[in-house]
Formats: sequence, structure tokens, C-alpha cells
Amino acid sequence: MEPVIRVENLVKRYASRELGRRAAAFTAVDSVSFSILPGSTLALVGESGSGKSSVALCLACLEPVTSGQIWFDGRDVAALSERESRAVRPKLQIVFQDPATSLNPRWTVGEIVAEPLLVKGRVANRERRERAAQGLERVGLGAEYLERRPAELSGGQRQRVAIARALILEPKLLILDEVLSALDCSIQGQIANLLVELQRALGLAYLFITHDLRMAAHLADEIAVMSRGKIVEQGAVETILRGARCAETQNLLGASLVDRETEAVRER
Amino acid sequence: MSTRSRLIICVLVLGALHLGVACAGFFAPYDPATQDREHPYAPPMWLHFLDAHRGIHLRPFAYAQESQTGSFDEYEENRARVIPVRFFVSGAPYRVLGVLPLRLHLFGADVPVYLLGTDGYGRDLLSRILFGGQVSLLAGLIGAGLTLSIGLCIGAAAGFWGGWKDEVLMRVAELFLALPWIYLLFAMRAFLPLAVPPVKAFLLVVVVIGAVGWARPARMVRGIVLSAKERNFVRAARGFGATGGYLLRRHILPETANVVLTQAAVLVPQFVLAEMTLSFLGLGVPEPLPSWGNLLASLQHYNVLVSYWWMYLPALAMVPFFLGYLVLASLLQGSSRATKIEVASAGV
Amino acid sequence: MMRFLLRRLGHAAFLLLGVSVLAFAFSTLAPGNYFDEMRLNPQISAERLSALRADYQVDRPMAVRYARWAVALLHGDLGFSFAYNTPVAPMLWTRARNTLLLTGTATVLVWMLALPLGVWSAEKRGRPADVALSWATAVLLIVPDLALALGLLVLAVRSGWLPTGGMVSVGFDGFSAGQKIRDLVLHLVLPVTVLVASALPVLLRHVRAAVAEALEASFLRAAEGHGISRRRLLYRYALPAAAHPLIALFGFSLGALLSGSLLAEVVMSWPGLGPFLLEGILARDLYVVIGGVLLSTLFLVAGNFAADLLLYWADPRIRAEAAER
Repeated sequence: MEPVIRVENLVKRYASRELGRRAAAFTAVDSVSFSILPGSTLALVGESGSGKSSVALCLACLEPVTSGQIWFDGRDVAALSERESRAVRPKLQIVFQDPATSLNPRWTVGEIVAEPLLVKGRVANRERRERAAQGLERVGLGAEYLERRPAELSGGQRQRVAIARALILEPKLLILDEVLSALDCSIQGQIANLLVELQRALGLAYLFITHDLRMAAHLADEIAVMSRGKIVEQGAVETILRGARCAETQNLLGASLVDRETEAVRER
Repeated sequence: MSTRSRLIICVLVLGALHLGVACAGFFAPYDPATQDREHPYAPPMWLHFLDAHRGIHLRPFAYAQESQTGSFDEYEENRARVIPVRFFVSGAPYRVLGVLPLRLHLFGADVPVYLLGTDGYGRDLLSRILFGGQVSLLAGLIGAGLTLSIGLCIGAAAGFWGGWKDEVLMRVAELFLALPWIYLLFAMRAFLPLAVPPVKAFLLVVVVIGAVGWARPARMVRGIVLSAKERNFVRAARGFGATGGYLLRRHILPETANVVLTQAAVLVPQFVLAEMTLSFLGLGVPEPLPSWGNLLASLQHYNVLVSYWWMYLPALAMVPFFLGYLVLASLLQGSSRATKIEVASAGV
Repeated sequence: MMRFLLRRLGHAAFLLLGVSVLAFAFSTLAPGNYFDEMRLNPQISAERLSALRADYQVDRPMAVRYARWAVALLHGDLGFSFAYNTPVAPMLWTRARNTLLLTGTATVLVWMLALPLGVWSAEKRGRPADVALSWATAVLLIVPDLALALGLLVLAVRSGWLPTGGMVSVGFDGFSAGQKIRDLVLHLVLPVTVLVASALPVLLRHVRAAVAEALEASFLRAAEGHGISRRRLLYRYALPAAAHPLIALFGFSLGALLSGSLLAEVVMSWPGLGPFLLEGILARDLYVVIGGVLLSTLFLVAGNFAADLLLYWADPRIRAEAAER
């Protein structure tokens, strides 16, 4: 089967550039390669600062790539200009960690969910509203939420709104950047289950970015462990969990074992 | 009282003050340019309710002022001549907001009544203060609008584009901040023609004042745009293909609304004062158009300063407006610490 | 240290350069020509006029004129005053000295008042004393500078307690040294009062805010818990912690006082830069105006440079940052 996205030797360097001073480059992502099949989930696991969020921003065309290719929809997305990439972006959507900052507090939920349609243009107000209501229903929120504002919602509800917004343009790939980390444990489970259901119903591919190996194991088909910008270990979930070879993976595994509450979520 | 209701009260009071000045023609008994050569430097007349025989009048009245023989500016109250004040009388024609022609005045009398006295040409000071307020406040309001528009455009451009354009724009802004602003105002005024008709002079003053102060609001707007650009909801909008124009219009500029409003409340009185200063020094709005600044200009003459205390009254006209704007600014700036320092220092 | 200094100096030089270009650009963009108006001046002969025209190369492009003027400036030559028929520089220096005397005195006084009062009201924040002080500053804040200056002048004229115009009395040259100082101080009282009263409320509010914020910080709470005396806490701990915004404020206060002094000088007829500049504008005396603006910028830039040095001395973080580079 043809993968949805294929990343080859992705490199992202940040140059700390200030006028008249030496530029010191920091390599956040160092030649990372992976691919994701339709309807499957790849979990990108790593400690904070390991470069996994930079991968997410590069894939979503929100940061320019230093070198490497990102094959998506038959073209190399990394080589596209800002203007050209606007056409591609709707098909691969990103959901951020903190739903409090990813929703504009001045807008109503209905406006937020339908915003991609507004950007796309040529969608009548009425249709936007209907599709926003449908989108909300898909993530388990009723049409009564349309007129609410983000401040009136709980963290879990906000994350549902963010997911509904990401899905409204019917993307092929969803990049989930630490979407569960800002939530309470009980809510984490609910959102995780919602993600699984959505994947089944819509045939989405996920890039699930997390520092929580247990949660990754629960959701993903395949796991890639990142450390200092590189993928240090990659394979099917079972293989990684059973025989973690790298010290980094073992550390992460240990960290999640200590976390009893996360354990409880996994059992559910 | 909640901040919101205080804000509403403050806006209402300020609105009423501005409305009063906007309807100067109605509250002022005379045309600001009408001269009464019989009564130069007439002192303010008091309104009385009790007459010399201890009779109570329901309608307020004034005593006529008659100049003493042999003096041109000393007057005596003639207790025998009672001038009753009438309300809602027809008088000198004027236009409300420059459009609607009317003759109705709040009060008037058969013989001229000068509640705040007259100037050297016998022009009614009350009428001149009210009409002068129109000029000065309009200069402040338009000037502030101009400054904020420039500041908003430059700040948004610098913050949104970033890179070398940001660098260049902010260096220019620093340049404008580095000059003591009144000297800058002078410098700009210096190279523009001096003797011009009043309306043109007014526009000139407004443009000069408006062009001087843009740097600080631009820096503040830039800061907000920079942080708004990195918000996740802006990133998300970019993620589904939004253009720069869309992001600015829908997400980024609305974030600056609070700062722009607060700055407006700070800048309007500051710019009214700038107009007053320029006109006071003879660089602003010229006679016969009255403005709070040029009404005070005669105080530069020693004899006026010493002899006619009421000529000082135009300086106090600004005080209620200053108070209103000060309260408004402090209510608007709310709880945000970062803007508080900037706002207050803008008042320096 | 050297690098930090050099960077700030470079910045100051850039500002001065920019302001001079700006002032020159305004003069070129303005309609009309100064020499056109001079033709109406009977004091200047036709020969003199054509000599001046040639000398200042009015018809040459702006860049050329600017370059000539800038080169002359480096030799201390600020151009020629058409109205006074003499070089600008010596006149400007005398005036600038007087302005410096006025603003310098006012700066020192206003900070001597603002610091202790601000610290005091920050300590008593929320209590009646603080509230009363903030009302008093609010009153000062809403009275326009112009009203204040005129009001004080009226008061002085009516009471006759203070001299109301100029910098010295008639016959100053014949006074003894003591009398001279006394006379000068008496003349300073009125304009300095205006400046202090117009700048004090804003400064006071800032000092109070900065110190109050420092007092809320947890390390000061901890110090309070250790039983350090109130006075020591305020002046040895809270004030240095608030130093950064205060020193930045120092630069602002200089600009404000310099701007305020212009008005005060004109109203009180103090022979400083303000009235000189005003005359220059009214007489369209180009080089007087540019020189005056440039000089006032120089004062401000120099003051900000001093503030930077102060900051370097007061804030260990900046010292560390500078050492790293």
C-alpha cells in the first residue's frame, strides 16, 4: 500500500540570528525518515526538547525545512513555497497541545470549527454553520455548543473543538502534537478513545507525538523513539515494548511505569 | 462597582463633555468673533437671585456694567439697571457640528451679559472658550486618530513581516522616540509655512501633531503582533491555508484593540495640550479662530497677566477633559502589567 | 565592558545622525526658500544675500548641502544665523548652558522627591497615606503644564515674592558672588517648580509601581520573614530590585523635562534654547532651528547613555551578558 506521507532525511536547523552577530545554528531535527500508511498511526515518542514538535511543524508546512523531502499527495511538500503550500496544508492538519491557546478566545465555537471553510472561501454562511454542527457532533459535542466561547468549555471539550476544526476539511493525515498532555487523566482516556473511533470511521492516518510511551503503545501501530533530533529506535509496538534496546527508550518506559495514573488509563 | 460599569459611566461623562463643546453654538450666548468695542476687558458678571431690596427673583439677573469715565477697562456695576437673563432665546446664527443652521441659544439678555468677561476686543470669553474647545478637541481627536493609524500600520507591518523590514522600521521609530517630542513638533512646524489661513493652519497643526507621536504606539502594536503571531490559533489558521492578510484581519489586529484604545485615551489629551502649546506660542491656529491655546496667548503680555485674571480661565477648560481621559485610560489598561508601564510612560 | 560601551556609543551616534538627516530632510521638503524671505529683510544687503546663497549652495541637491553642513559640524560650526547675522554655535552654546542649568536642577530635584515619596507610598500601598498621595498626583496630572506655568506666574506677579522673568536681575554684573548665586537661585525657583510639578506625578507613579512590584516578589517576602528591618528591606533590597525599570525611566524623564522646559522657558522668559528656537522658527532661521533640535537631541542621547552606564553598574545581569559577548 502507498504510504500517506513519506519523510526522507528531514533536517531542521534553527539559526539564532541577530544583526551583526555570529550565527549559532541549533539542529533540532537531524535526518529523520519515516512513513505512515493510510488508516494507521505512527507514534513519535521522545523527551521534551528531542525535536519531535519541530518535526510536527515542518510536516504541517508551518516551518521551512532545512533539507530533506516530505512526500505527500504525490509531491515534495518541503520544496514548495509558502504560497504553493497553502493548497496542500488543508489535507494535513495539526492539533496542538494546549487547546486553551489554539482556539481564538474571541470567537464562538461555531466560528472556530467553521474557520477553515471561511479561509477556503466560497462556502455560504448557512452551509458553514451546518457543517460546523456536523463537525461538532462527530467529536461528541452537540449543536448547543455552537454559540459558546472557548472560555466556557472544559479542557477536554476544547480539545474536541480543536479536533473538529482539524477534521472539517477532511484531511488525510492528522498531526497530533501532544494533544493529551494538557488534559486530566480521565479526560485523556476519553479523547484517546475518540481518536481511535475517528480513525476507524474516517480512515485517517495519525502522527501521534507524545512523551508518554504507554499512551503511544495504546494508540499506535508503530513507534519511533526520538532523542536529540534523531530517531534512535523504530518498530512495531510489541517489539519496542518487549525489547527496548536503547537507553532512551528504557528511560521513557521507566518514566511511564512510574506514572500510575497513566497506567490506569491504559487498562481501560 | 465593576470595572465595566465604571467604564460606562466614564465614557458617558466624557461623551457629555464633548457633546457640550460640539454644541458650543447653543451653550454660547454669542458668536465667538463678535466684538463689543464698548466693553473691552469687561470682568465676569455675576448672576444674582437676590436684588438690592432683598427681593427674590426666580429668574437670574445681572447688573449692567458701565465703563468708568476716563478709563477704557474699568467698569462699575450699575445696581439700578437689572438685566434679566432669558432662556432659549433666538440670537446669533450658528451651525450645529458645522451642518445644521440654528439660532437658538440656551440663554441671552437684551443687554450683553458676559458671564466670564471679555477679551481686549470685547469678545465674550465664555463663547470663545466653548468654540475654542471645538478647535482644540478636534485637533486632539484627529491627531490621535492619525497617530494611531500610522502606528498601527507600521507596528503591524514590522511585527508581521519581521526580518530586516522590522529592523529598519524599529530603528526609525527609535529615532522618533529619541527626540524630545516638543522639539520635534517645533522642528516639523518650523519648516512649514507660517502665515496661512486659519483652516489650513489647523490642518497643518493636526498633521504635524499626528505625525510626531506614532513611534510609541507602533512599538506597542509590534510587540502584540509578534506575540499574537506565535499563538497556536494563528498557527492553526496558517495550517489550513490562511493568507497573511486574513491572519492580520481576523486574528492579529483584533488583539491590538485594547492597546489602541488605551493609547487613544492617553494621546487625545496629550495632543490637545500640544495644540494648545503650539497655538499659545503663535505657531498653531491663528486668530480670529479661537482655540484654547491662542486664547491664552494674550497672557504673554505682562499687563494682561496682571490686570485681567479671567483671561486665565481658558487654561482650566481642559481640566475636566483631562480628568475624564485619565480615568478612562486607567480603566482601559486594566490588569495588564506590561501595557501599564508603557501607557504611563507615554504620559511623560 | 568596552564592547557594551562601544555598542551604546554607536547607538547614540546613529540616533544623532538620524536626527540630523531628519531635520535636514524636513527643511528640504518644506515649500519655499529661506532666502526668499530674507530678501524682505532690510538688514541683509543684496550682496550679502547672494554671497550667502553661494556659500550655502541653496540650489545644490540636499545630499551635497547635508554633507557640507555635517563636515562643518564636526569642526564645531553649526552654520550661520540669518537673523542675528552671526554664526549660530556661540549663541547656541550660551542658550544651551542656560537650558542645562534649568533642566539639570529640575531633574535632580524631581528625582530627589520621587524616589523617597515613591518608596514610601509603595510601602504604605493601599493605606490612607498612599491613597492621599495618589490623589495629589492625580490632581497634578490633570492640570495642563501650560495652566500650571501661567498660574504660578500670575501668583508670583501678584504676590511679588519672586522675580518673574529672565535669569538674572538688572545689575547682575555688579553683584558680589553671594548675591549672584542668591539672585540666580531666586530666578530659578519659578521655572524649576513648573518643571518639577509637571514631571513629578508620572515619575512618582512609576517609582511606586516598580517598588511595589519588587515588594511583592517572593524573595523579598522571604527576606521580610527573616526579620530584616523595614528600612533596610526597602532601600537595600526593594529599590535595587526595581532599579532596571527606574533607570529606563530616567531616560524618559530627561526627555519629558527637556520638552517641558521649552514651554516653561518661553512663559518665564528664561533665556534658554526654547525661546531661541521659537524666535528661530518665526524668523525662519534655518540653522538656528536645526542646531537647536540637534542640541536638544544630544542632551537626551547623552542622558540616555548615562542611564545605560548606570544600568550596567546596577544590574548584574547586563554585566554578565556583556561579558559573555
